[in-house]
Amino acid sequence: MVTRHPRARSGSAEKSDGSPPPGVGSGGPPWIRAVTLVGAVLALLLLGAAGGMLVGLPGAGGSAAPSAESVDVGFAQDMTIHHRQATTMATLYRVNGEDPSISQLAFDIDTNQREQIGWMQGWLNIWDRSLTPVDGYMNWMTGPEGHQHHGAVPQDENGAPAIMPGMASEEELAELRAARGEELDVLFLQLMLRHHEGGVEMATYAAERAGRVQVRNLASNMLQHQTAESAKMVGMLRERGAEPLPFDN
Amino acid sequence: MASGKSSKAVRNARAATAVKKSKPWGTLAAVAVLVLFAGGIFTYVYTQYEATADIRAFTPSEENQNPALDIEGVTSEEYAGQLHVVAPQRVAYEEFPPNGGPHDEVWAGCNGVVYDVPVRNENMVHSLEHGAVWIAYNEDQIQGEDLETLRNKVIGEPAMMMSPYPDLDSPISLQAWGHRLKVDSADDERIDQFITALQLNAYVYPEIGATCMPNPARFDVDNPPPFDPSEPGPDAMPMSANPEDFGGYTGPGDEMLDPSGAPEASEQPEGEEDPATDESEAPESDEGADASDEGDTND
Repeated sequence: MVTRHPRARSGSAEKSDGSPPPGVGSGGPPWIRAVTLVGAVLALLLLGAAGGMLVGLPGAGGSAAPSAESVDVGFAQDMTIHHRQATTMATLYRVNGEDPSISQLAFDIDTNQREQIGWMQGWLNIWDRSLTPVDGYMNWMTGPEGHQHHGAVPQDENGAPAIMPGMASEEELAELRAARGEELDVLFLQLMLRHHEGGVEMATYAAERAGRVQVRNLASNMLQHQTAESAKMVGMLRERGAEPLPFDN
Repeated sequence: MASGKSSKAVRNARAATAVKKSKPWGTLAAVAVLVLFAGGIFTYVYTQYEATADIRAFTPSEENQNPALDIEGVTSEEYAGQLHVVAPQRVAYEEFPPNGGPHDEVWAGCNGVVYDVPVRNENMVHSLEHGAVWIAYNEDQIQGEDLETLRNKVIGEPAMMMSPYPDLDSPISLQAWGHRLKVDSADDERIDQFITALQLNAYVYPEIGATCMPNPARFDVDNPPPFDPSEPGPDAMPMSANPEDFGGYTGPGDEMLDPSGAPEASEQPEGEEDPATDESEAPESDEGADASDEGDTND
């Protein structure tokens, strides 16, 4: 301890004595400059190569977000709302229903569609777009086939659908909440079947026209999976001597 | 003492400066440090890059949606999803372990589950539909360290499950929906490549977002439905089942679709039961064996 103080002072004394710093600068012979230059270039090349590899590493990708009016954004916004009602109905069945097969189906729909909502909300988040529809429903379906099928659905003042196809009304949801036993089994299957059918139009449109491969892939996956699930629900309804609800969209 | 020592140090420092001015070791040292620093960064990044070469090559992407097809030895098939049976109905799988096709409506837990006993095929196949990779192994050939190596790839990992598989014709067989790879060693690098390529590959599995969490009301991971080594009976759903024919569903009450049918009786046709399904039926099935091709299996 005693000896360290003087040394520290001697260091500061040297700094303040005005002599120029050693090394780099004007004084060296020409070959020193050449070595410095080669060293600098070598260092830059090495760092450049490292940077190049970093760009190629997983997770380093990224590109521009789809526009607010795009199919990708519209689909993610509207299908989120559509899926939320399905998870609401499935949750009701999981709590109040008793049939093991329907309960298993409800468990599958509930967990699966929640995760798909996560995907769609995640996209909107990272694209910095509104998480919910901002201009009515299904306005992103503006191609030749857009809107022409909406005749049966109530429309808002702009001609856009005020409610998406297949959605259960507040009254129907109240009935579902109150139902028990076999009445609940049939009502749940009927409402969920019509709900699945209602999503087909949006999913088909997005599967064909979304800009992003990931969005087209999710939409077509939904379409195929839900079509098979719908066929299954038709079978389950028939087995219970019930018929699907009319779907006039 | 202290002041004397101090002035000596200053003199030494000045001398050193004078030496550096004439022979610029400082510059050379600075350049060397810079190059070494850049070289260090390059080496580190290069090592990381090399170590992740497999991850880059086998991670599904827009451009390469199914990298599993680049792995040597992988076989692939197309299956229709969503064809369900309800236990005890079985599926007449044609390849083992099965990697797709009709399956039980209840999926096996596949959220990083290691089963110590063989599990019913019909439940395991449903988990493949949910994006899981299933590591099946031959208990006689995979033990100790090898078993531990495989377990570590599964425990706590999403969409992974593992089980012994009776009479497996290779030490290890990996299954994902529509894909299979048989390998001889737990250290085969293709195991990780297969997992990277197919675990929850959204371009491959039929039900994006489906959970691997089992329904606790229907499937107990601690007491899973056992593997059934016997031949499936005539009531098993064939692999060629057309979704249209089955309405996508064959529940326990399917007989009710035909009001004239007598469900209980029609399920047990006399003398046509497979000899292996039930020991108590054996005498009856012997009678039918003469006329049918079941005679071959009895020889």
